[in-house]
Amino acid sequence: MANAPLQCATFFGKLIENEYVHFNKLSALVIDDISAMRHAVRSQLQSLGMNKVSVASNATDALELIKSTAFDVIMCDYNLNSTSSGQHFLEYLRNENVLKATSVFVMLTAETEYSFVANAVEFIPDDYLFKPCSESKLRSRLERLIDRRAFLMPVLKALDARHYDVAVAECNKLLDIAPDDRRRMEVLRRKSDAQLALGDHFSVLETYAHAAAVRGDAPWVMMGLARTHYALGEFTQAAEMANMLVVKNKSYVAAYELLARIRLEANDDEGALELLHRSAVILPSAKRFRSVAQAAFLLGKLEEAKSNTEAAIQLSNGSMVEKPDDYLSLAQTHVDMGNHMTAIETLEKSARKHGDVGMFGVAKGAILAQAYFDSGDHDKARKLMERSVSLLANRTDSVAMTALGKAALKTGDVVLGMKLLTQAVQVSGQEERIIARHVKKSMIDTGHADKVEDVIDGGHKRILLLVDEATKLMRSAHFTEANQKINEALGIHEENLEALMTAAQLHLLWLKHEGMDARVVQRAKAYLSTLDKLVPNNQKVMNFYRFFNDIVSD
Amino acid sequence: MQKILSALVIHDIKNALALLEIDLEQLNHRKDTPVEGRRAYRRCIELKTRLVSFLTLYKHDQSGLQPAMVEVDLAEFIEDLVRNSQSAMMAESHHGHPIVVHADNERMKPGSATAGFGMLDENLVELALESALNNAVRYAHRRVDVWFEQEADEIVFRVLDDGAGVGEVDELMQRKIAEKSSSTGLGLALCKAVAGAHGSGSVRLESLPGGTLFSMRLRAVA
Repeated sequence: MANAPLQCATFFGKLIENEYVHFNKLSALVIDDISAMRHAVRSQLQSLGMNKVSVASNATDALELIKSTAFDVIMCDYNLNSTSSGQHFLEYLRNENVLKATSVFVMLTAETEYSFVANAVEFIPDDYLFKPCSESKLRSRLERLIDRRAFLMPVLKALDARHYDVAVAECNKLLDIAPDDRRRMEVLRRKSDAQLALGDHFSVLETYAHAAAVRGDAPWVMMGLARTHYALGEFTQAAEMANMLVVKNKSYVAAYELLARIRLEANDDEGALELLHRSAVILPSAKRFRSVAQAAFLLGKLEEAKSNTEAAIQLSNGSMVEKPDDYLSLAQTHVDMGNHMTAIETLEKSARKHGDVGMFGVAKGAILAQAYFDSGDHDKARKLMERSVSLLANRTDSVAMTALGKAALKTGDVVLGMKLLTQAVQVSGQEERIIARHVKKSMIDTGHADKVEDVIDGGHKRILLLVDEATKLMRSAHFTEANQKINEALGIHEENLEALMTAAQLHLLWLKHEGMDARVVQRAKAYLSTLDKLVPNNQKVMNFYRFFNDIVSD
Repeated sequence: MQKILSALVIHDIKNALALLEIDLEQLNHRKDTPVEGRRAYRRCIELKTRLVSFLTLYKHDQSGLQPAMVEVDLAEFIEDLVRNSQSAMMAESHHGHPIVVHADNERMKPGSATAGFGMLDENLVELALESALNNAVRYAHRRVDVWFEQEADEIVFRVLDDGAGVGEVDELMQRKIAEKSSSTGLGLALCKAVAGAHGSGSVRLESLPGGTLFSMRLRAVA
């Protein structure tokens, strides 16, 4: 018998048609904690002809390499170590925008893990491979992936450069030459990603409709439609679509998470908690445990809040998704349960690890003050409060202010408490809904239920109502009327982030759909520069800028 | 405890075997690999395939297979299957001449609403079809064709060989199915388990003039 893989090549003419994939020009990264496996995969890639193959034994090293090198192929083991999986790593890379669209990401799994992750998640790799797999299988998978990448290359490059308008234009070019439905769907998917990044809900709906005409049951099309309906405030349709997804695939966690948000909008907190709990069971991650813990905490289910926060801490401990705030949540839960000693211990333990600096220090002091107050040491509580107030100075942070406000109410300083909690809601921006819920709970817990309305509102409710009305008018292309509503909202609080974002988006769409108007251009510019000052380097604002430049240069 | 221990041992053996396979695969890239090296590679593959098949059947008998359904482009799936088939690769050593294994694009029938995509457990179906292929290349004369047909919620995979003596084969099969220890029996039992795991499914082996047709039908249950 001759050289086995080569013989395979001569048996089936298939290999020859893909000979234009030049492996010797490609670079790869292999991530696996088991050295034998790492080297086995590396030698397979090398015998495919790859010269530049790097290896990493853990996520931290891999992250450094990915940040500094644009790999063509990344082969990542699912089972990275006991606390973080390849799936967590992929979610992290996508969330942090570290992974290039031009990098092909392949997840290597053992079959027992595979049934666990496949299809359950939103962030899917370009491909899954059972490990270890034969070289010929590896070759054919990689050839397909590289081939697909070559076709999409102009789009992927534009996505990597965050030139989303260019990406859309490149997608349109590719749609004209796509040889089959498979390629067409791949292009449409990238096109919808780019349009979502631009916040262009009008056009993204058209793209989904186009994709649905090719293949209506593709999960990403259904999920995209559900999300767009949600963004447009059409909750019934959003829920219908998400439910259809869940029926088809009962482990699709992204659909459960969207359904949970819809329940929250309908003030069905129990229902939301149930759904979040289900998604955390299907695919446990620190982020999902945190969501469950928060929902349980707000419902007063403290035992459940405690166990889920503990699970989040355990799962993220020592990994890149570790969050010191978990200790704050855990300690606050213990305080509310009456376990002030455990709360103190929790914070003392976390203090050693995360120090005492910044807003973490402020919130930590506030929760410690509550715990010492409950233990009867009022003097210590007062000192801790004073220290936190002076550390906060004139900075604003809604989480720290909420904790401090609660501490003030508990220790009897009602005036300070009300002031802090009111401000906490005002500066909460996009977190408004959830911060308002925490503030409300803190007030009820400390016997101030009667003042909830005043504190949470502080003009904010009216702003949100106006923004909401403006958004609806904007989406039905009533730009002048929408603008009146937005001006009224900004009259209440001129630096309200949501009102400003909506104002900017409104003016951009106005220009796009009604054509150039010097006054509208002027106002659009002013909103963008205010936003740029308030939230520097915000992704959404940067997208607005790009969109703006695109319209103006047309 | 014993159960956990044996699961660990089996897992360990499977991984070690797979690593050994990669080592042998790399060794076989060399032009001067002795014939023993090539034989060791082939045996290693056979051993691993048999172990995986036994494990899958064992799981089926104990707790039932739980398929991980993913969306698959069926034409691509068959092309890859044929291209990477280790049975096809080693057919020559059984016959002394190569057997052409062909992904038959002409016969492939994608469903109209699904555009040739289907939900299935790629790895289970691949394992089943590989064992069907293994059987087909052994009985084939020169050629084996593989394709799929799709209709609404149903996917049928077909493997057709041009072997002779089909009538006898049928009877022989029946006997062999009873004894899972033979590779044919093991393979068919495996295919049935995989088809059953995909809702309601079936496996058929029929004699046609000039060949034997294997069909595995997967039907999603609503």
